[in-house]
Amino acid sequence: MRLNIVIGGKAGQGINKVSEIVSNVLANYGYFTFNYRDYQSLVRGGHNFNVISISDSLIESHDVTADVLVALDELTIKIHKQSLRKNGVMVSADQFKDEGRNLNVALAGVLVKVLGVPLSELENEIKSQFKKYNEAIVSARKGFDFQESIYNLKKLNSKPSILSGSEAVAIGARNAGLDLYISYPMTPATNTMNELAENQVENKLMVFQSENEIAAANMALGASFSGAKVMTGTSGGGFDLMGEALSFQGISEIPLTVYLASRPGPGTGVPTYTSQSDLDIALRAGHGEFPRVVIAPGNPIETIEKTFEALYLAEKFRTLSIVLSDKHLAESEFSSVEVLSEVSKFQVMRKIPGKEIVKASSYEIDEFGNSTESGVLTEKNANARVEKYKRAKKFIEENFEMIKVHGKKSSKNLVIGWGSTSGAIKDSIKDFDAKFLQVLYMKPLSSQIKREMDKADKIILVECNVTGQLGRLIREKTGIKIENRILKYDGRPFCSDELKKKIEGLL
Amino acid sequence: MNTKDKLKTSSENTWCPGCPNHMVLESVKQTISKFIDSKKFKQEDFVITTDIGCNSKIFDYLNLSGIYCLHGRAIPTAIGIKLGNPNLKVLAFAGDGAVYAEGISHFIHAFKYNSDMTLILHDNQSFSLTTGQPTPTSQQGYVSKASPLGVFDKPMNPLKVALASGATFIARTSARDIPHMVEVFTKAVNHKGFSFVEVIQDCLAFNLDSNNRDSQMYKVKDNEDKKVAEKLASEFDYNSKDGKIPIGVIYQVKESTLEEKWPQLKDLLDKKVGWVAK
Repeated sequence: MRLNIVIGGKAGQGINKVSEIVSNVLANYGYFTFNYRDYQSLVRGGHNFNVISISDSLIESHDVTADVLVALDELTIKIHKQSLRKNGVMVSADQFKDEGRNLNVALAGVLVKVLGVPLSELENEIKSQFKKYNEAIVSARKGFDFQESIYNLKKLNSKPSILSGSEAVAIGARNAGLDLYISYPMTPATNTMNELAENQVENKLMVFQSENEIAAANMALGASFSGAKVMTGTSGGGFDLMGEALSFQGISEIPLTVYLASRPGPGTGVPTYTSQSDLDIALRAGHGEFPRVVIAPGNPIETIEKTFEALYLAEKFRTLSIVLSDKHLAESEFSSVEVLSEVSKFQVMRKIPGKEIVKASSYEIDEFGNSTESGVLTEKNANARVEKYKRAKKFIEENFEMIKVHGKKSSKNLVIGWGSTSGAIKDSIKDFDAKFLQVLYMKPLSSQIKREMDKADKIILVECNVTGQLGRLIREKTGIKIENRILKYDGRPFCSDELKKKIEGLL
Repeated sequence: MNTKDKLKTSSENTWCPGCPNHMVLESVKQTISKFIDSKKFKQEDFVITTDIGCNSKIFDYLNLSGIYCLHGRAIPTAIGIKLGNPNLKVLAFAGDGAVYAEGISHFIHAFKYNSDMTLILHDNQSFSLTTGQPTPTSQQGYVSKASPLGVFDKPMNPLKVALASGATFIARTSARDIPHMVEVFTKAVNHKGFSFVEVIQDCLAFNLDSNNRDSQMYKVKDNEDKKVAEKLASEFDYNSKDGKIPIGVIYQVKESTLEEKWPQLKDLLDKKVGWVAK
């Protein structure tokens, strides 16, 4: 069972509130939802829309085709009418313009009725959200009474919880005992900053907004040096500015974790949309040769785990860890019933100033931590960095999940992808004789990838970028060129129905 | 071993013979030794950050914790150290090129944050380690290999920038005068907030025209009046050979520090710990 509801309108009209209320009601009613948010870089006006995808089993993507369209303005009808399926339900907000600020509650009432969910479910949600809820409940009832019931959703026993990728980064970081998040705002990384900033004092951490990303990265290194667990976060443009500091991390070996939430470049690109085009810079940014770890989770649960691992590895190997995400993972709301096992916070594992004399440097150093230009030491230090990477790689291979295989494990048809695209791939191959190899660790890259590829008859690469960056990385490491590529680079993520057709065409 | 000797390292000193940096180093050692001897701080409490440039080689010659930073980034890295543990006594060393060109944004924001640390700014009006290119404080007409037509622009006045940016401590001293440097550095370290000390310094190899300013310098009494500070800051324009150069504490005012403003950091200050022991 799967339904898709499109809710569109101008920025500021409250479409996110409608999605939030309906998603919460459905989660409490036992259904899985996926909420995609499509919005423009403006504060009021324009055209924004959300797609809530609903299922009785786990889903991690939305579809192009809509079953229900809720329009808060004329433009929404004009744009989305074509994607509404034949006999689909169209709801115009016009009928409820007298509801004022409770318009979104009235629309939630309409949607709940469309789905056949009892009004009491919505009333409970409203009571939990609003302090003064009487007016809102009247509006919800108006919406509910206005609409005919179309579907007949039965209450299910699942209890999914809803989480965005941005929230997940914050949870993973807090699980690791994060002390400081030092950052400069940039979409789509900012929501993690907001998330950590909220209740920062109670959570015994601090969020500091610096004058720019160069300062953020260098401050982060300074704070890490004096013993704090530190993270900084940004998108591609800000990450570029941090490049020199990343290289500085490489030589100074001060632990640093960077959250890189990408969006379409080059330049300012399409700032509120999504892209997987920053894998290359995650892997290579910074001059000179130095170790790093790049991890790309595919959903919020993986994001919690992998953010923890990133911070742990940064501390243990005094390395650079990058958590690579994008707007689609950061800002979409996923529902899940997966319960994460408790993790124990780890200690800082190195000498810190205040207790003893500790030196760190952007120069090559001698045994005392002072500068050297010795050829012997330059070579020795470079070798030590390579050895450190080997140790980190071995540790990761022995302790952490570097890839996942989904779908029919025995299939000879292998789809390869990563990050936020994983959800649409998982959902689109459900009916096919195919399996999906999801790459989680981009560096180090798992040697199992080659083994999986060797077993397959047909390999299809799916990525949201124009050059197939994971494909190039795999080719670099394995020598295998993946001929079948499904690439999307219009700033929008894959929808599962559209991807299903594309994969079917190649099978 | 006396305290000053404990501050020594085994690194070979590569400053030019006669470079005023030797005198700055001696002054820093004397200043820090006094703090350690008076039991006010331990040697381990001090952390330095240095930039890139001749002055910053001081990193290798001081047995103190610290970070030898990227060019232009000694200030944000130092503020980061304070964010990580507000109890540390932090001094940043950097030159006029690093701070007024590459890292000017950090300089301006440092006054706004008012982190409780000290910036020792070595100003010799040239990028000397890279063979004498002009910096933002080089005088008009300065000819170098990179500027054969001479510098066209008027120099920046960093003291005025500092005042306009909300500085809580501005001082100037001379790299030729060890007792004065020790006096000013001590006051700067004792200041609660971001203390900015400009050291007027000769370079024996580049921009020789900007050297030998002793006769222009005069000592001022510690000043807390903003209007007076503005007047004092305007006296030296970094450009002309004549005019007075006031040295001493140009301006000092008490305002909340970054570490006092943030409840999380205030808590660490009160408990005398860093995040690591929170």
